[in-house]
Amino acid sequence: MDRNQLIKWLEAPAKMGHKYSLHAVYFCTGCGIIEVPPSITARWDAERFGVLPTASPRQANLFLITGYVSVKTLKAIIRTYEQMPEPKYTVGFGSCPINGGMYWDSYNTIKHLDKYIPIDGWIAGCMPRPEAIFVAVTHLWTLIDKDMADGYKRYRKYYSQYRANQEKVLLGLEWPPLFPIEAG
Amino acid sequence: MDDTLRQRLDSTFDSLRIVEKGTNNTSIAVGRNAVMSVLSFLKQSGYDHLHAISCVDWIDKGALELVWVLSRYMRPGEQYDPKHAENLLLRTMIPRDPARMVSSIPLFEVAEPYEREIHELFGVDFEGHPRLIPLFLERSYDTPPFRKDFDTRQYVEDFFESIPSIVEDGGEGE
Repeated sequence: MDRNQLIKWLEAPAKMGHKYSLHAVYFCTGCGIIEVPPSITARWDAERFGVLPTASPRQANLFLITGYVSVKTLKAIIRTYEQMPEPKYTVGFGSCPINGGMYWDSYNTIKHLDKYIPIDGWIAGCMPRPEAIFVAVTHLWTLIDKDMADGYKRYRKYYSQYRANQEKVLLGLEWPPLFPIEAG
Repeated sequence: MDDTLRQRLDSTFDSLRIVEKGTNNTSIAVGRNAVMSVLSFLKQSGYDHLHAISCVDWIDKGALELVWVLSRYMRPGEQYDPKHAENLLLRTMIPRDPARMVSSIPLFEVAEPYEREIHELFGVDFEGHPRLIPLFLERSYDTPPFRKDFDTRQYVEDFFESIPSIVEDGGEGE
């Protein structure tokens, strides 16, 4: 352990705990997931950074959206995101979640993922290298340190807008709102 | 395709057009009334495996082309022979509007998901299909999205770009 960080550990132990135990949901969206197996196994070994894939969203706090998101996948993404316990961090991986990428003029992929769920950071590129995941993870550490990775708080605060967009693209959702929506 | 099958096809059906381009590229073009009888004839003649049903939109000709890809299973004890591993394409043209075809499920049960897919992406109604409900798509479209006259760019601009960004207190979006 870095001795310089001792003060941080004493000041905010929970935050440091979140930083160094990012458990990523093993959720495969599009083609970007092909970069994840080498990242988590011996070649790049994401465990150095405390990142581990987790099979269940209920035990995870990092959500990597890897690649283009079709409308049907968006429904699964929303369900998964809402099941994750707080604090939770989302990272859009690749150019497709950012603005549609090469699938922009497609009839069935959504273009801007941040209209439907809050995103804490983006990794640009098509495809980003596994190293980019680690750059993103170290950057996410900085954001957590500065309380800037607040996507889950924004989701609570602006939930009525997110829910309205989700219902618009999915023609209604089958589950009730996660948070109460104030009238008007 | 071996010659005996070709002769039998020619003598059994009237308006067949058999096109053979090199190996493993044989197609039979038939009118759409004869599709079911040719399919059942080919199934009896050994082509008992339906790989896929595919659809092509020939917008200039004003027609949709349906393609059945057939091949044969190896019989028990049979030695592998590349001659028997050939695919056979059965093609037919149907009008674009109204696009109707009779379902081939009575002959090949595996046709069920392919016909559902073609129904939702190309708008072909298969007569006799037990459940023509959406297979992949989450919403309905005015024009089926795989037809050539479906303007994806226009659709994206009209629909996806109309969804507003999240407006936060500090200004526009993130």
